[in-house]
Formats: sequence, C-alpha cells, structure tokens
Amino acid sequence: MAGNDMIQVKHLTKQFGKLTVLNDISTSFHAGEVVSIIGPSGGGKSTFLRCLNLLEVPTSGQILFDGVDICDKKTDINLHRQKMGMVFQQFNLFENMNVMRNLTAAPVKIKKMPRQQAEEKAVSLLKRVGLADKADAYPSQLSGGQKQHIAIVRALMMEPEVMLFDEPTSALDPEMIGEVLDVMKALAESGMTMIVVTHEMRFAREVSSRTLFLDGGHIEEDKPSHALFEHPESPRLISFLEKVL
Amino acid sequence: MTFFVNVWTTLEKYYSFFLEGVQNTLIIAFFTVLFGTLLGILMAMAKLSGFKPLRWLATAYIEFFRGTPLMVQLMFIFYGLPMMGVTFPNVPFIENFQRFAAGIVAMSLNSCAYVAEVIRSGIQAVDAGQMEAARSLGFKKSQSMLLVILPQAIRNILPALGNEFVTVIKESSIVSVIGIADLMYRTNGVKAKNYKTLECLFIAAIIYCILTFGSSRLISLMERRMRRGRK
Repeated sequence: MAGNDMIQVKHLTKQFGKLTVLNDISTSFHAGEVVSIIGPSGGGKSTFLRCLNLLEVPTSGQILFDGVDICDKKTDINLHRQKMGMVFQQFNLFENMNVMRNLTAAPVKIKKMPRQQAEEKAVSLLKRVGLADKADAYPSQLSGGQKQHIAIVRALMMEPEVMLFDEPTSALDPEMIGEVLDVMKALAESGMTMIVVTHEMRFAREVSSRTLFLDGGHIEEDKPSHALFEHPESPRLISFLEKVL
Repeated sequence: MTFFVNVWTTLEKYYSFFLEGVQNTLIIAFFTVLFGTLLGILMAMAKLSGFKPLRWLATAYIEFFRGTPLMVQLMFIFYGLPMMGVTFPNVPFIENFQRFAAGIVAMSLNSCAYVAEVIRSGIQAVDAGQMEAARSLGFKKSQSMLLVILPQAIRNILPALGNEFVTVIKESSIVSVIGIADLMYRTNGVKAKNYKTLECLFIAAIIYCILTFGSSRLISLMERRMRRGRK
C-alpha cells in the first residue's frame, strides 16, 4: 500500500496562538481514493484540508506529496499546488475576469499552454457541466451553483492529481446542492483522487470510499465509509451521527 | 462689467503666457501622477509585506511625507539637497531641467505617500479568498497580486485615486516658488505687468477649474468602463 500513497500526513499539528486546532494527525491518501472528512464545526476539518496545500502553514509535522515534504522551506510549493486543485465554500472565482479568463488564466500563465488550446479545453469542460453559454459572463452574473461548477472546472483545467473540496455545497441554495454533488460524483467515478470536507452525509456515505471523523483536532475514526456509518465505534461519532442523520 | 472687459483684454494680450503656464502645470502634474502612482504601488506593497523592517520603513515614510508640508519638502529638495552635495544634472535641450526635476521629485514623493495609503486600503478590501484561490492554482504571490488583486483594488479605489490626481493638479501651483513657469507663476507674471490682480487670479482660477473638472470627468469615464459587463 505504501507505494500507492499520494499524500502522507505525519504528526501534523497546527496551532493558532495558544489554540491547538490540529493535534498530531497522521494519515495517508492514495491515488484514486475518494475520502470524505466529516465532523462538528470547529473540529479542524477545514484547517486540515488547507494544510494539505499549505494555505495554512502547519506548526509542526510533515506532509509528503508524491514523496516530497511540502512543508520543507526549500520545496517550491507553487509547483505542488498546480497538482492539487482546490474548491472553496465561497467559490472565489476571480471577480475581475469573465468565466473564460477565470478558466484559462492559470494554464496559460503558469503552464504556458497556448491560449487557443486552453480555450478549447475550457469550452469542452464547460459543456460537460452545461455552462458553455456562460463563457463571457462575469462571476457576479452567475448563481451560486453555476459559480461552484465553474470553480470546479477552473481547478480541473490544471489537470491536478488530487482535488481538495472545502465544504463545496455549504454556501449553496438547497436546490443547487444536488447539481454540484452530481458533478463531484461524476468526477469521483472518473477516477479522480478527491478529499472532501463536507456536511453532506449522503455524499460521504455513498460516493466516498473512506470517511474520516475529525473532532477536537484529531482523527476520532477513519474507516471505509459504509463501515463508519453502519458501525460507528467512538461515542463522539455516534452522538455526531445521531444529530446529523 | 469693466471687470469682464479687463479679463478679456488680459486674455487677449497675455494668452500665450497663460498657455505656457498650463503646459508646464500639466507636465508637472502628469509626471507626478505617473511616478506618484508607481511609487505608491510599491510603497503599498512594502507596507503590506510580510517582512517587518520593510513594513516599518514604509510606515515611517508615509507618516513623514503626510506629516510635513509639501512646501518644506520642495524647499528641502530644491535648496537643501544641493547644499548636501546632491544636485540634479542639467540636461541639454530641456530648459530648466533642474527645477522641473526637483519639482516633480518633491511632488511625486509626496503624492506617493497618499496614493500608497489609498492603494493599501483598496488591496485590503479585496476578499482574502481571491488571493487564496489564485495561490491554490499555483500562481506566485506577485502574479496573484498583478492578475487578480490589483485590478480589483484599482477598480474600488478609482474615486479616491481620482481625488488625489485632482489634488496634484491644484497643489502643483506650489512649484511656482522654485521658479517653474507653471500657471500660477505666469499668473503672477501677468499681474506684475498689467496690475490687474483680481482679473488675473480670476483667469487662473477658471483655468485650474477646467483642468480639474476635465480630469475628474476622465476618471469617472474610466470608472464606468471598468464596471461594464458587471452588475
């Protein structure tokens, strides 16, 4: 199994001042895996995810991505971030660019892909999420669900090895949630490695192969999803599931 | 009525003086806005930098230049620096280069401090998620700034920036004291020739008004352009 590990987290600790948000977390993610991270608010889920691409710098510990310690100051983090797509709760589309420019900016400027090629790729991905007619629209003209579709496509444009989702449906109207989850499900079925912080228990249970329950800054339970939902062991997970299911 | 007749005859006789003054005022204002904005962007970056000494330096600079009169700064640069052995070179074919250089440098250094604060507030007003999204795609900090943050910041601060540009046009009248033949200098010159003090000042005021109104229209035109296509 060790040879398959794309991301290895070793003794990850994150403190904000005196507050310890993540406490000595160790786990790993292999290629092709879809992992959900669930748990109560303030349990450290988002911070954990943001540590994986160094949007938060860990206080101590190691994160190995393809065998390289990305916490090492000598590692070029920009290079590694290109391989880790991220989707945010608040979408964070670039407000000053239209959809097409949002999608092509990174491949053209960072990967030096010819603009025409990038635009063709953008159009074909937009078609897949049914938004080909929105290429010229600005983010402020889109609905929340449309924005999140575009945000997912923007991350995919860089052809990442892994996609990180930070509560991708939490800011959406209820009727949009299903559409975004469908796109994520299709992505999972295509073999993409995904790590998803979510409150959508159905997604965790039915789509992800493994689920982590994060509470109080450490992993309380880490099991195949069906086992975690059907046979929860830790009392905190049991009480959490009772509240949300 | 005689007042307006006097205004007319003054303009008729001395219009070339006023025109030359306008030209020099515009030269000073243009370069001040250009250098002031460029330096202001750098200074705002320094003030937002993660490197503490740089931040302190920028804060000290901004506080100093906003906290002392432009007149003192101008005098120091034009009269004081040569006493310390620092002189602006004279350039062939450009008349009075030394004076213009001193005027533009003083005004740019001063304007830069104000522009820096405007830009800093504009950058800080852009949602932090924009920077995070750019970084998560693999953009360097500087690229994210240039492609994503600054365009949004500039759109937000355009009104405040326009205000600063208008101020520069008006404040540039101060360079007349170091002998640059700007609008104010020429106005004083005409006044000394025909003793029509009130009329000359009236003409100067109207011309300044046209210049500032023109530039503020230009700015609001840009504002509207940048909003095009968005809500």
